[in-house]
Amino acid sequence: MPRPKLWARSRPLLAFYGAALLFVGVSFLFSFLLQRFFPYPFLFFFFGAVMASAWFGGTGPGLLSVVLSTVLVDYFFVPPFNSFSISPSAEAYFGAFVACAVVASWVSSSKKKTEQALVQARNDLELRVSERTAALMKTQGELAHLSRMLSMAELTASVVHEIGQPLTGVVTNAQACLEWLSAGASNVEKARRSADGIVRDSTRAVAVLDRIRSLFRKSPPEKEWLNINDIIDEMMVLVRDEARRRSVQIHILLEQSLPHVRVDRVQIQQVILNLVVNAMDALNDSVIDDKRIFLMSRKNRHDELVIRVEDCGVGLAGELRERMFEPFFTTKPHGIGVGLSITRSIVEAHKGQITAAARPQGGTIVEFTIPIHPDDADD
Amino acid sequence: MTDSDMVFVIDDDESVRDAVTNLLEAVNIRAQAFASTEAFFRRGRPDTSCCLVLDLQLPGTTGLQFQQHLHRAQIEIPIVFITAYGDIPTAMRAVKAGAIEFLTKPFQKADLLSAVYRGLEKDRAYLQQRAESAAMQAHFADLTNREAEVMDLVTEGLSNKEIAWKLDLSEPTVKIHRSRVMQKMQAGSLPELVRMADRLRQNPRQ
Repeated sequence: MPRPKLWARSRPLLAFYGAALLFVGVSFLFSFLLQRFFPYPFLFFFFGAVMASAWFGGTGPGLLSVVLSTVLVDYFFVPPFNSFSISPSAEAYFGAFVACAVVASWVSSSKKKTEQALVQARNDLELRVSERTAALMKTQGELAHLSRMLSMAELTASVVHEIGQPLTGVVTNAQACLEWLSAGASNVEKARRSADGIVRDSTRAVAVLDRIRSLFRKSPPEKEWLNINDIIDEMMVLVRDEARRRSVQIHILLEQSLPHVRVDRVQIQQVILNLVVNAMDALNDSVIDDKRIFLMSRKNRHDELVIRVEDCGVGLAGELRERMFEPFFTTKPHGIGVGLSITRSIVEAHKGQITAAARPQGGTIVEFTIPIHPDDADD
Repeated sequence: MTDSDMVFVIDDDESVRDAVTNLLEAVNIRAQAFASTEAFFRRGRPDTSCCLVLDLQLPGTTGLQFQQHLHRAQIEIPIVFITAYGDIPTAMRAVKAGAIEFLTKPFQKADLLSAVYRGLEKDRAYLQQRAESAAMQAHFADLTNREAEVMDLVTEGLSNKEIAWKLDLSEPTVKIHRSRVMQKMQAGSLPELVRMADRLRQNPRQ
């Protein structure tokens, strides 16, 4: 332990002994002044001084004030006055005083100790809770990331297609461009149009890559004011081809000019991705002829945006539907059951709600809300 | 390459459709783009040589389904498949069903052009064969019943004597019929006539 630390510790301790002296001095003054109004010396101030000294300073200062009080009381208030000797008649009285002072000091200092221990325990607990919460948040973030990757893995073929198409455009247009140019100056206009095509298609490929990269990135939540319909449209680019391969039709019905909401883009994309991939899985069964998914956005009367995903699958029985947002609940042979529970925690982090209901004509309706004005502007 | 050659590009993706059409035009092949198989089907195939560049994954009917659909409708047209994800089983099925080539996007110019040229070549051969067959049918229709009977027996390998006996005719009469048949069918030799007869027996009336 370095020296300055010792100094820092001893200084308040000295102050506590000083305080004990002060308390005893003050109570002596009061007792001395009040002496003439009472037939017996009024000594209760000393108990106060002892308790206060023990409370603030602990055992040491408490005992110091006990000793000081005893000496002062013996000298000034116990007959014969102004002497350290004690008359036999006052022995019991003086004895009782000393005993009370010692007990008061002990009770006070131990009460203080208990209280301090309690405070310490509470602080420790708070620290541990916040540590655990941080660890949990991190785990949840990683789980969300993992679940995102799994959803994306399901869409790999779709993603390959969405990048392959514009790339084909780029390569083919570039080759055409070279052909036009080598054919002579009269074809400059055609070559320029080919180059335009290259620019357009490569921009398209980059946009798809950006979307995928943002889903793969492990970034802390970041809320911005966004149009929910744009988020839906962006997601559909990644899902579109998968739907086609599974012969699923996705009907998108978006209410126009919805107000912007403050959301984390990647998280909301993940929610939509999860719900749409789930809906497609619900239609996987070959016995289902009606392979349609409805994806809708609207505003309700409670100033919330409602995003609804409907599938025309076989649906889930009531009790399974109630459990579908629980962690590790899954009906899929290779599912791990984290997608929908993460979906729910994301929606709840946006102060919204997610619900599932049976579709009257068969299938499942999953709906989530995002309040337009969340009550607290916390982040 | 002839001026009448035509390539039809069917892909629902505008980038690919436009780029492929552009490339073909850049190497002097006439090309026309369609966003769906239905749009192409409404147009139908021309009587001049043509070839199809067909995307495998199309909304609604897939490329393979369309290939079968054309088969059933007895529309012969060489197909070059293009796909964003080439899996071998699908490629095998496509090629077994008569596809010229199966190209994975993005493909090289040389591969596409070589496939397209082979497709057009095959279509020209098909058209020529179809024209010959039509001409032969017309010649056959010109034969009298007796001449048709004689042609049938001659190409079965019977001698004039046997034919005469079978049809209750004199041998010189059979010889006259036989030379008429050779003349009307424009056959230079007996083996050629036999080949014609074989083809006629395969598809009696078109």
